[in-house]
Amino acid sequence: MAQRYVRSVGAYLPLLRLDRKAASGAFGWSGLAMPRSGRRSVAAWDEDALTMAVEAGRTALAGHHADSVVFASTSAPFRERLQANLLCEALGLPRDVSVSDVAGSRRCGVSALRQALLNGGGDALVAAGERRATMPGSAFQLTWGDGAAAALIGDDGCARLLGSACINVDFVDVYVSDERPLPYASEERFVREEAIALAFVPAIEAACANAGVSAAEIALAVVHEPVGGVYKGLAAVAGLKAPNLCDDITAAAGDLGAAHALFGLALALERGKPGDRILVAGFGSGCDALVLEMTAPCDGSASAETSLREGAALTNITRFLSLAGSLDLDWGPRSELDQKTAASVLARHGRDMHGFIGGRDARGNVQFPKTLIPVSPLADGPEPLADVRLADLEASIVSVTADRLNFTPDPPFHFGLVQFDNGARVSMEFRDIEGATPQVGDRVRMRFRVKSIDRKRGFRTYFWKAAPLERPKLEEG
Amino acid sequence: MASGIRDRVVIAGMGCTEFGERWDKGPEALMVEAFEEALADAGIGRGDIEAAWLGVALDDMNVGNSALPLATALRLRNIPVTRVENMCATGTEALRAATYAVAAGACDVALALGVEKLKDTGYGGLPLRTKGLANDLWMPYGSAPGTFAQLAGAYTAKHGVEAGDLKRAMAHVSWKSHQNGALNPKAHLRKPVSMETILNAPLIADPLGLFDCCGVSDGAACAIVTTPDIARGLGKDALVSVKAIQLSASNGWESQYGEWDGSYVRNTREAARRAYAEAGVSDPRAEIGMTEVHDCFSVTELVTMEDLGLSDEGRAVFDILDGRFDRDGAIPCQIDGGLKCFGHPVGASGLRMAYEVYGQLLGRAGERQRDRINLGLTHNLGGAPANSVSAVSIFGRLE
Repeated sequence: MAQRYVRSVGAYLPLLRLDRKAASGAFGWSGLAMPRSGRRSVAAWDEDALTMAVEAGRTALAGHHADSVVFASTSAPFRERLQANLLCEALGLPRDVSVSDVAGSRRCGVSALRQALLNGGGDALVAAGERRATMPGSAFQLTWGDGAAAALIGDDGCARLLGSACINVDFVDVYVSDERPLPYASEERFVREEAIALAFVPAIEAACANAGVSAAEIALAVVHEPVGGVYKGLAAVAGLKAPNLCDDITAAAGDLGAAHALFGLALALERGKPGDRILVAGFGSGCDALVLEMTAPCDGSASAETSLREGAALTNITRFLSLAGSLDLDWGPRSELDQKTAASVLARHGRDMHGFIGGRDARGNVQFPKTLIPVSPLADGPEPLADVRLADLEASIVSVTADRLNFTPDPPFHFGLVQFDNGARVSMEFRDIEGATPQVGDRVRMRFRVKSIDRKRGFRTYFWKAAPLERPKLEEG
Repeated sequence: MASGIRDRVVIAGMGCTEFGERWDKGPEALMVEAFEEALADAGIGRGDIEAAWLGVALDDMNVGNSALPLATALRLRNIPVTRVENMCATGTEALRAATYAVAAGACDVALALGVEKLKDTGYGGLPLRTKGLANDLWMPYGSAPGTFAQLAGAYTAKHGVEAGDLKRAMAHVSWKSHQNGALNPKAHLRKPVSMETILNAPLIADPLGLFDCCGVSDGAACAIVTTPDIARGLGKDALVSVKAIQLSASNGWESQYGEWDGSYVRNTREAARRAYAEAGVSDPRAEIGMTEVHDCFSVTELVTMEDLGLSDEGRAVFDILDGRFDRDGAIPCQIDGGLKCFGHPVGASGLRMAYEVYGQLLGRAGERQRDRINLGLTHNLGGAPANSVSAVSIFGRLE
């Protein structure tokens, strides 16, 4: 079988970052032990594991193609509704791509990466996203973060697989169940010692042996620790000398679950140089370990550094708790709008919505959505429109406001008209606005987001929203 | 080319309830109250009504759907009754249908009645509604102030008007309507409000503050229309004639095609152009003596002055601040307080505007009465600037 490579990667974090010291201070009265250093990335109300995986997947797929797509998450919004399908539609991939959702433990992202590297079968995209609900007061609420990462695997690229191994152990450091929908943790000291002994060291040693690489030759480590101190312990046992890049992610954004090690891989490929050996170890009910050799600069890897560096500080603890789903506010009667989605309507229009596909008429004008009779004043009857994807294009703001009347879970509600350079004009919601309302003429880019959540029936729909081209730089924290 | 309806139909009588928070009245009581006033004004009996149109824009849950709420409340004599709905142009649509029926000779006496009972929704502002199952998949759920507020940014960007000047002009629009509403015993809001209060009110949708937005109300208004000959037969010597009723509806050009700059309302311009032609108005600024326009938001009234040709493009800000549209200005606007202060029971609003023009033309406006006005204009704007229906009507004495 041909040598398999990482072709490209993508990393994504939501805009908001909660300062852990401020947050733990708000809970100080309780005496509960909470982390006090670094920041936690916080998903917007309309971001979930899928939307963030789409954003990471877009970066990884830019200029590439995928023959198969895996969506990995322990916090996927649906149990029955294949999210890899939605991922494909949002990425503009055809209907005949092989797809699957994987879950079961946060190791699933790295397990899927390993499978894609071990198996042939064309270009394989693994996109992992995580937005995990946690109990207020738990350490998880501040140590975990929301985010996503993706890797495209193929027969050439920027890092080749040298070897790998896996160890499967029913080791319960944390669990989530039907009866306990929020995570429950085992004692930290037990986890630290036994995870090293039962999972990490055996898997890493086996992977290094399989790769023919000694632990000391590893230049960059991407080891997903279940608790702090694991890497330090296992490195001493296994003889690893490399820094663990996951520490930087944990400090700046938090533990990203299924996306954590993939994010670390992207970071390693950004910081590394050709010839570097990279260890990637995913943990959860065992350990998957991979040893890669970087062969070239990697498409998309810059997204890991920039997403860690850019964002907006979230200082309001009640806003955080509301966004995290830990505080159920009474939003009043305006929040009672019934948002039932008709499955038949979704079947007719969903693909164009998820892919943000408009149509080009015979005169070249593009519009969204497609209609039988084009919107152009020059059209004089029904005509076929050619598909045009708008998701990856920039646009300009024609009109905008910050609406403080209508219900949104995170006011104000910014919306207005945007104008694409190809002629398409669309009424859109603006997102990732912290502070001043955007101005007429400002340029925007498209982001895949939750459009509506039908809380009565537990359903959600997805569409694209416009966001500023650039994010602010985070102050050193 | 059609000759239009100018002077073929006159108003035999009108009625309008007090608008506001009518907690003690249901839609039936509101309809009866407006209708009994109109019947008495017309000097006819309910059996003389040969056809009727009911305008209800939003309140299916309370008024009920179909024409039956009107037919039943008024105990009409099994005549044809139809419900119409076209957002905020609903009341004018009812009047348009009744007027067309008489002009066509399909009947001699027709009723147009608009009603809305919005204060039972349990919150301020318009009721929340979906935009249609397919549109809900992508259209933002913006509020009405949110959609109209967008005129402001586009207007300042286009005309280079300072945001502060626009804000002051918008505040003047509301200040003037509060001054006028204080003189109207049927108005929802009857208190003058200072410019300072208006300018410092909390934001609803940037840059619209609380006083830049009209509320919604309970209320009903109606018109009985007939032919000039029949009206004269009823002993009426001063007759108010329908000079024009025109409507324009968006086809997606503003919201989906890349030409509109977002700073004006195309449908108002289209409807006004046709209405002026139908009414034989060649110089609106000289001939139109008063207007009742759709001041759902202060910025809407501001751009409407330009869309109706009563201000030059980019100059409404300054004409407003100069008092051109005040009660004692050259072309008074909202002498009755407008949507802002008379109130906005959506289905009734177009007919309420006609009621004020009718009263002014007949010299019945009491404290609000202006000197002799030959022509009065009403204007409705439904939906959002980017996707609207707009109605422009012109009324005058039948000489």
